[in-house]
Amino acid sequence: MTATQPTLRAPSNRARAGALIRSTPAYIVVALVALVVVFTIISPEGRFLDATNLQAVGRNSAGLVLLAVGLTFVLGAGHIDLSVGATLVLSSVVAGTVAVDIAGPPSASGAFPSAGPAIAVAALAAVVVGGIAGLVNGLLVTKLKVNSFVVTLGTMGVATGTAQVLTNGSNVAGIPPDVQTSFGLNSVAGIPLPLVLAVVVALVAGVVLSQTSAGRHALAIGSSSDGAMRAGVNVQRSTIAVFVISGLMAGIAGFLDITRFGTTAISGHETTMLQALSAVIIGGTSLFGGRASVLGSVLATFIPTMLLAGFVMVGVSSFYQNIAIGAVLIIAVWLDQLRGK
Amino acid sequence: MTDRQPPVLRATGLAKSFGHVQALRHGELTVHAGEVVALVGDNGAGKSTLISCISGTHLPDAGEVRVDDRPMPLGSIKAAMEHGIATVYQGLAMAPDLSVAENLFLSCELRRPGLLGRLGLLDKKAMRERAWELMDSLGITTLQDVTLPVGDLSGGQRQVVAVARAVSRAGRLVIMDEPTAALGARQSQMVIETIRATRDRGLGVVLISHDLPRVLEVADRIVVMRLGRVVADVPARDLKIGQIVALMLGEQNDPREESLPA
Ligand SMILES: Nc1ncnc2c1ncn2[C@@H]1O[C@H](COP(=O)(O)OP(=O)(O)O)[C@@H](O)[C@H]1O
Ligand SMILES: [Mg+2]
Repeated sequence: MTATQPTLRAPSNRARAGALIRSTPAYIVVALVALVVVFTIISPEGRFLDATNLQAVGRNSAGLVLLAVGLTFVLGAGHIDLSVGATLVLSSVVAGTVAVDIAGPPSASGAFPSAGPAIAVAALAAVVVGGIAGLVNGLLVTKLKVNSFVVTLGTMGVATGTAQVLTNGSNVAGIPPDVQTSFGLNSVAGIPLPLVLAVVVALVAGVVLSQTSAGRHALAIGSSSDGAMRAGVNVQRSTIAVFVISGLMAGIAGFLDITRFGTTAISGHETTMLQALSAVIIGGTSLFGGRASVLGSVLATFIPTMLLAGFVMVGVSSFYQNIAIGAVLIIAVWLDQLRGK
Repeated sequence: MTDRQPPVLRATGLAKSFGHVQALRHGELTVHAGEVVALVGDNGAGKSTLISCISGTHLPDAGEVRVDDRPMPLGSIKAAMEHGIATVYQGLAMAPDLSVAENLFLSCELRRPGLLGRLGLLDKKAMRERAWELMDSLGITTLQDVTLPVGDLSGGQRQVVAVARAVSRAGRLVIMDEPTAALGARQSQMVIETIRATRDRGLGVVLISHDLPRVLEVADRIVVMRLGRVVADVPARDLKIGQIVALMLGEQNDPREESLPA
């Protein structure tokens, strides 16, 4: 072998990718501001900038923020979770059913005497269902050693089907409306409570990813599973952990769904996974693992929700949102590839 | 190196097959504290397989490994690390997206003092500083920044980081599988110095290398492998390069012996 050069080569792909991932949140903020400006200008009487509209955008983003946070861990670890939308639906169905069962029929005045406990248990049920779904994904990926794309494509079908079997395909009715009035439609300081919850969870997740061993290990296995294993990282445990995190996030998002609509939205989540995945990749997390940014994911989540709100407001069919998201996803993956692996 | 103390490592009867390939038929390796053992053999002789059975990356089909005369569970990288064995793998074992400092401490991260540490928060600053100290103490001058991703380093620099990680982690034994393969003369010499320093700290060292002149420079004992078996285990001072080559190739009287530098 020839002698190695005594000094470093010019900053190469990975250093540039690192710099890019740090500056990605700034680009996203610029893009979001641009969206706000454009939609404000073209919306009737600039209504896009109304507090009620911005609140709606925030409320609609909360669940997506959580899914994106979970996917940030999964993608950072070099895997993918296509089942998050289906897990969300299954969690919301189980939570809704549990809430109805515990709350029982309303009194003559229409009030549910045990609405409080019913909602609390429902929330717990949603989180547990999500956690179990994530655990199943993690175990299938690590024990059967089946590629996570295939595993989660399969569990996506299983979760969707289970939700349909449980409800016969119709949404759960009779959930105490307190779930909306006390939480889902409430705000603090003008910020919707579901969004506050999602942002708090995202903050904790951001600290876990960037400041703890668990986060290091997730990125290490995403960067090189063999290398991480030989360095002493428990690859199976880390892999299962990222899927459980993703499942838990989908579970919480499932509960948020109920607090938002007062019922389930079984057929309302066909593109949710696509939106969350796009946000994560736009946010600077590599589809190939090893690099991830919770902040980037959270900020990028607002791109699809703002597009939707804007399209609706200016009278463009919401179907165009799907076209826009699909296109943005492909562009984001292409940019990710340019960053180098 | 006394006979009264049990050896740091005593591996006996190790065997490992991959499908129909019997990569390792009979692996034996004994290393004492403060001893450098060179493991040599032709490509495919089974050297990497033998040390993988010791470092826990492979579960051998048969055999036993004892560290300080206590049996070590096989097939577990964690168990081997906990028994004080650290390894520089051929082909390395780095996460290219993580920085030099992060790789040096991967799976052995330093936590913050106090409550934050107990909550699991990392002490990144301490890890960066310790990484610098480590590089400095090993005389590694080619790295300017421990926060660079390992994937941005040259092959030689990565190898140096791998060596640094192994010697800083090992409590009893360092295994190096061709650590100088991607290195220039100066860096190879630095690795040899590091091996000497490690031996002087009282650790055992296993060195796999094809660079026989350097091997003879540093090794106390030479273990030769051929076709999955250990065929010789000889004090280094008793051997010349020609004889080692003959053992590696299985030739009793190597015709090239005369022409090779001794
Ligand atoms: N993971 C593996 N799967 C199949 N065959 C292997 C594997 N690892 C090593 N071998 C085979 O085992 C034999 C010994 O290999 P190895 O231990 O790497 O030799 P060395 O390190 O001495 O060059 C070779 O024939 C090699 O092709
Ligand atoms: Mg080898």
